[in-house]
Amino acid sequence: MKKRMYLFLISLLVAVFTLAACAQTDDTGGETPSEQPDGDSSSEQPDSTDSGSGGDSSDKPAQTVNIGYSGPLSGPAAYYGENTLTGLELAVEEINEEGFEVDGQLYNINLVALDDKYLPNETAANAKRLVQEHKTPIIFTPHSGGIFALQVFNEQDNFIIGAYSSEPAITEAGNSLTVRIPPSYAGYIEPFTTYAMERFGNKIAALPTNSQYGKDWTEALLPYWEDQGGEVVYNSSIDFAKDTDFFTILTNALEDDPDVLFIGGPSQPTAMVAKQARELGFEGGFIVMDQAKLDEMTAVTGSYEALEGSIGVMPLIEADYPGTPAFVEKYKAAHDKNPGSEAGLHYISMYVFIEAMKAAGSVDDPAAIYAQMQTGLDNLPEDKRVYEIPMIDEKGGFVADLSVAAVEDGKVVPIPVE
Amino acid sequence: MELLIQQLFNGLTIGSVYSLVALGLTLVYGILHIPNFAHGALYMVGAYVTLTMMVQGGFHYLLAIVISILVVGLISVLMERVVFHPLRDSTPIQHKVAAIGVLLFLEALAHYIWGADYQQMPTPYGQVVKVFDLTFTMQRILIVVTAIVVMILLYLFLKKTYTGATIIAMSQNREGAYLVGINANKVAMLTFFIAGALAAIGASLTSPINLVFPSMGHLVILKAFVIIIIGGMGSVPGAILGGYILGFSESLGATYLFSDYKDLIAFVLLVIILTVKPQGIFAKGGV
Repeated sequence: MKKRMYLFLISLLVAVFTLAACAQTDDTGGETPSEQPDGDSSSEQPDSTDSGSGGDSSDKPAQTVNIGYSGPLSGPAAYYGENTLTGLELAVEEINEEGFEVDGQLYNINLVALDDKYLPNETAANAKRLVQEHKTPIIFTPHSGGIFALQVFNEQDNFIIGAYSSEPAITEAGNSLTVRIPPSYAGYIEPFTTYAMERFGNKIAALPTNSQYGKDWTEALLPYWEDQGGEVVYNSSIDFAKDTDFFTILTNALEDDPDVLFIGGPSQPTAMVAKQARELGFEGGFIVMDQAKLDEMTAVTGSYEALEGSIGVMPLIEADYPGTPAFVEKYKAAHDKNPGSEAGLHYISMYVFIEAMKAAGSVDDPAAIYAQMQTGLDNLPEDKRVYEIPMIDEKGGFVADLSVAAVEDGKVVPIPVE
Repeated sequence: MELLIQQLFNGLTIGSVYSLVALGLTLVYGILHIPNFAHGALYMVGAYVTLTMMVQGGFHYLLAIVISILVVGLISVLMERVVFHPLRDSTPIQHKVAAIGVLLFLEALAHYIWGADYQQMPTPYGQVVKVFDLTFTMQRILIVVTAIVVMILLYLFLKKTYTGATIIAMSQNREGAYLVGINANKVAMLTFFIAGALAAIGASLTSPINLVFPSMGHLVILKAFVIIIIGGMGSVPGAILGGYILGFSESLGATYLFSDYKDLIAFVLLVIILTVKPQGIFAKGGV
C-alpha cells in the first residue's frame, strides 16, 4: 500500500516535472549555437585585424561585423522566430553581395543566430555569449520578455537591442540603447474601435491569447471601448498552448450575442478561433490583435470570406510602399511563401542599422550608431523601403505610418488612419 | 438550456479525444509500468502522417487515418524494441528518462521534417449541422462516434479474445503471466502497437478542429496523465471515465464557474479524487 502511494506520488511529480520540462525542452539543440549557414559564408572572409583608416578600400580585404540574433527557433514559437530571422537573413545576403563601406573600410556582415526558445533567461544568456564571443554591437530579439531581460545589462555590456515588439513599455523605460522596430500597438486602439463599433455595434467579447502581450492589449482596448459607449459582454483569454478545442470558450463568449469579437495570438490558431466562431453562427466583426496577420489567417480559413468584417494590420503583401514588391518577390523566391511584417520589418531595420553605421563612421561603437539612427532612416535607399518609417522618436521607437486594413466584401481594403 | 446541451456536446467531443489518448497511456502503464512521456509525440506524429498522406499522397481522409495507425503503431513497437526492451532490467527512472528522450527526439525530428509552421488538416466532414439552436459539425460527431466505437472494440478485444486476455493477464500479474506461458515480448509489442494506434486515431480525428504543429502533443499529454491518475493507473475503464470527467469539467466549469481557471477545476478534481480514493477511481489491474 505504502509502496503504491509512493509510486503515485512519484508519477505525479514526474508528470509535473514534464509539464515544466515541456515548457522548456521543446528544443534539443539549444546548447549549440545555431549559426545560420547563410550568414556563415561571410565568415570565410579573412578576418583581418588591421583596422583600416581612410584610403581606398577596394584593395583591402573586407572585414566582418557580427550581428546577433536571439529568438525562438524551436518549440511552439519556432514559426514566429523563423519568420523574423528570414527577414534578417535576406537583408544580410543582399548586403554581403557588395559589402558596405564604413570610414573607407569594406565590411561584410556575419549574422549569428542563437535559439532562446522564447525564454527571457535564455535570451539573456545568449546575449552575454554574443557580446563576449562575437562582439556584436547589435542584438535583435523578437519578444518583449527577452527585450526586458536584455535591458537589464545592455547599457553596461554596450550593445544595441534591435527590439521587435510593439509593446510600448520597452521604450518607456528610457533605455538608451534600445530601438523598438514595430510601431506601438497603442495607435491601433482608436481606429479599430471606431471601425468595429460603427460597422457592427457596441457589444464586444474579448478572447485574445493569454500571453502578457495579449493581456496588455486587452487592457488597452477594453477601457477605450467602454469609454466610447461600448459594452464588454465577455472577457477571457485562450491559452493556445493548452486548449485543444475552442468551441467551449466560444459558446460562452457568444452567449450574450456580441457584435464584435476581439481575437489575437499567432495567426493560424487565431484564424481557427475565427473559423469556429463562424461555425457557431457568429456574424459580427473581428478586431484582430496586431500579432495575427490577416493574410496568414486565410491559410486556415481558406478565404477572406470567413474573416468578413475583420479589422487588423495591413498585410505586407497588400501594401504599396516603394520597396515592397521587390522584397515580396525576393522573399517568395527564397522561402516559397509570402513574407509577413515580421520579415519585412527585420529586413528594413537591418538596412537602417547599416546606414546608421555608415553615418556614425563606426561598426563597433553602439552609442555612436544609436545616435545616427535618424540619419540611417533618412539615408535608407528608396528600393529598400518595404515600409515607410520617417523617424525614430527620442525614446528609440520607430514611428511609422500605421497601416490598418479591414476585410470588406471578401477583400482587404486599407482604412485611413489619422 | 441550449447552452447546457451545447456545452455537454463540447465536453463530449474533447472528452472523447482525451479518453483515446489516455487509453494508450494506461495500457502501456498497465503492462510495463512505464509512464510513457513519448505518447504525446506519437500523437503528434500520427497527425503529421495523416496530414502528409492526405495532402501529398492524395489519399482520402479515412484511408490516411488507416495508414497513420499502421505507421504510428509500428513506430511505437520500434520504440519498445529499441528503447524500453533493452532497459527492462534497469530501474524505473531510466525508463522515464528514456521516454523523455524519445519525446524530444520525435519533436525535433518533426520540426526537421515538417517545419515549425502551423498546418491545417483538411477534412471532408466540415459541414455544419444545426439542430434547433445547437451547432454540431460533422467532424465533431465523427470524433464522438469513432471514439466510442473504438472504445467498444478495444473492450471486446481485451475481454473476448485470447490475445486480449494475455494483455490483461500481464497487467494483473506479470510473474503469473510468465508462469502460464504468456510470451511477454509479444504482449509488450502488441500493447505498444495498440497504444500508438490509439494516439494516431485521436490525433487524426482532432487535427481538423485544431492545427498540426510539432508541439501539439503537449496539448493532450499532461491531461492524459491526469486522467489515468484519476481513473487509476493501468485501468482501461478508468481512462475512459477519467477522459470524459475531464472533458465535461472543462466545458461545464468554463461555463458555470470561471473560464480563466478551468484547468484549476480539473486539478482540484484530481486532488479530491486522490484524497478519497488514492488509487484512482478504479483499482489497477481489472478491466
